[in-house]
Amino acid sequence: MAKVNPDFAKQLTGIESAGNLNYCYQCSACVQECPAALRFSEFNPREIVLSTLLGVADELTGKNSVIWQCATCYNCYERCPQGTRPIEVVTALKNLAFQLGNAPEQISALRESVITSGTITALSDSMKKRREQLGVPKISLPEEGSLKKILGG
Amino acid sequence: MAQIELTLFPGCMIPLRYPQIEKAARFFFNAAGLGIIDAEGFTCCPEPWNVKGAGLAEWLTIATWNLCVAEKHSRDVVTLCNGCYSTLKEAQRIISINGEATKEIISRIKSTGLPEPGTLRILHVAHLISELWEPLISKSIKKRPEGANIAIHHGCHLLRPAEIMEFDNPFEPSILEQIIDSIGATPTLYRGYTDCCGRALLDREKSLDIASAKLESIKEAGADCIVVLCPACFEQLDLGQIEIKRKTKKVFDLPVFHFCQLLALACGAVPNDLGFEYHRVPAGDFLSRFFS
Ligand code: SF4
Ligand code: SF4
Repeated sequence: MAKVNPDFAKQLTGIESAGNLNYCYQCSACVQECPAALRFSEFNPREIVLSTLLGVADELTGKNSVIWQCATCYNCYERCPQGTRPIEVVTALKNLAFQLGNAPEQISALRESVITSGTITALSDSMKKRREQLGVPKISLPEEGSLKKILGG
Repeated sequence: MAQIELTLFPGCMIPLRYPQIEKAARFFFNAAGLGIIDAEGFTCCPEPWNVKGAGLAEWLTIATWNLCVAEKHSRDVVTLCNGCYSTLKEAQRIISINGEATKEIISRIKSTGLPEPGTLRILHVAHLISELWEPLISKSIKKRPEGANIAIHHGCHLLRPAEIMEFDNPFEPSILEQIIDSIGATPTLYRGYTDCCGRALLDREKSLDIASAKLESIKEAGADCIVVLCPACFEQLDLGQIEIKRKTKKVFDLPVFHFCQLLALACGAVPNDLGFEYHRVPAGDFLSRFFS
C-alpha cells in the first residue's frame, strides 16, 4: 500500500507556483486537452495534483515515472479555473525525482552537458563546416566550465 | 545605419543544428533594416523541459546569467526560439515577483562582474515582426508568395502561459495570420490549431503520434507548407515526418520553414543561398512554385 506523507507537498520547490495546488477542486478542466493524458492512461494532471496534495506521490518521483511524458504544453495552466498550474506541480515533482536519482538517463545527460559546456550539444566539425559554407559568423561558444562558477558546488 | 538595434540571443539549437535558420534570420534582419548585436558569453537558455525538469534553481541561475549578459549590451533581446523565449521571459518574471529565490543568484552573478538584470525587453522574433510590420518590415517585402496556403504552427511556448508570454490569444491566435495574409499568402486553419507538436514527451513513439495527428490535420486542410517559430518544433515536424514515414509508411510531404526563412524569401533572398538542402522534407517544389 502507498505510504502517506502528509508533509510531502512542502518539499516542492517554491520557485514557480507549485504551491497553488491547495486550491485544486478536482474539476478535471486540466485533463481535457492534456496531450499526455490522451496517450497515457496513467498520466492525469488532476490525479497528479491530488496525489501530491495527499502525499501519496512516491510512484510519481520513482524510476520510470509517467511525469516525464508531460509535453509542457501549458494547456492545463491556461484551462485551470483555480490557478493551480498542474504543469508547475509536474516540474516540481521532476525536480524531486532528479534529486532522488530517479530521472531518466537522457535528462541527466542533457543537464550535465549544459552545466559543463553551456550548450545542449557540441559543435561538430561538420556543423562548423556547414556554418562556414552558409556564411554565418563564427560562433562564440561559452567558456568550458564558466557556469560551474555561478552554480556553486 | 540601422535605427533599431537588438541583441540576438541565438540559443543553441539553431546555431548548432540548424544554422540555415540563423542564416535566414540574419538576412531578414538586415533586409528589414534591423541591426543585430552578437554578444559573447551567452549559454543555452537553458531549455525549459529537461534542464528545468532536473532543477529549477539551476535553470533559473543560468537563465539569470543570460539576462545579465544581455544587460551588458543595453539593447532589447530577440530570440528565434520558443524555448529561449519562454525561459528568458519566465526567469524575468520570477526575478520581478520572487526576490527571495533570486537575490542570492543575482549577487553570485554580479560578483563575476556582470550587471544586474534590468528592464530590457525580451522579444520573440514573432513579436518583433508584428510590432514593426507596418512602420518597417512591410516596406522590405519584394516577393509575395501569392496563393500559397501556409499553416502556422506557433508552438506552445510562444502562446502559453499567455500572461507571461504576452504574445497572442493562447488558443485563437491571429497576429501572425495577418502577416501571412499581408504577404499575399493564405493562412491555413486546421483542426488542433494550437496543439503541441509533442516534442517534449519522453516516449518517442507517443511523441511522434502527436506530431502525426497534427501533420494529418494540416495536410487535410490543404496546406502547401508549415511555418514554425521554434527549432524544436521544426525538428519535430521536419525530421519527424521521416521518422513517421519509416514507422507507419504515412507520407505528408509538407515542407517546414521557420518564419524567418519565409520572411527572408519574401525580402528577396535567393533560395539557393539559404541552405534548404539541409531540411529533411524537400522544399524544392514549394520554393519553385512560390519563390522562383
Ligand atoms: S488542477 Fe485546476 S483544472 Fe485541474 S482539477 Fe484541479 S482545479 Fe481543476
Ligand atoms: S503541460 Fe503537461 S500536464 Fe499540462 S496539459 Fe500539457 S502535457 Fe498535460
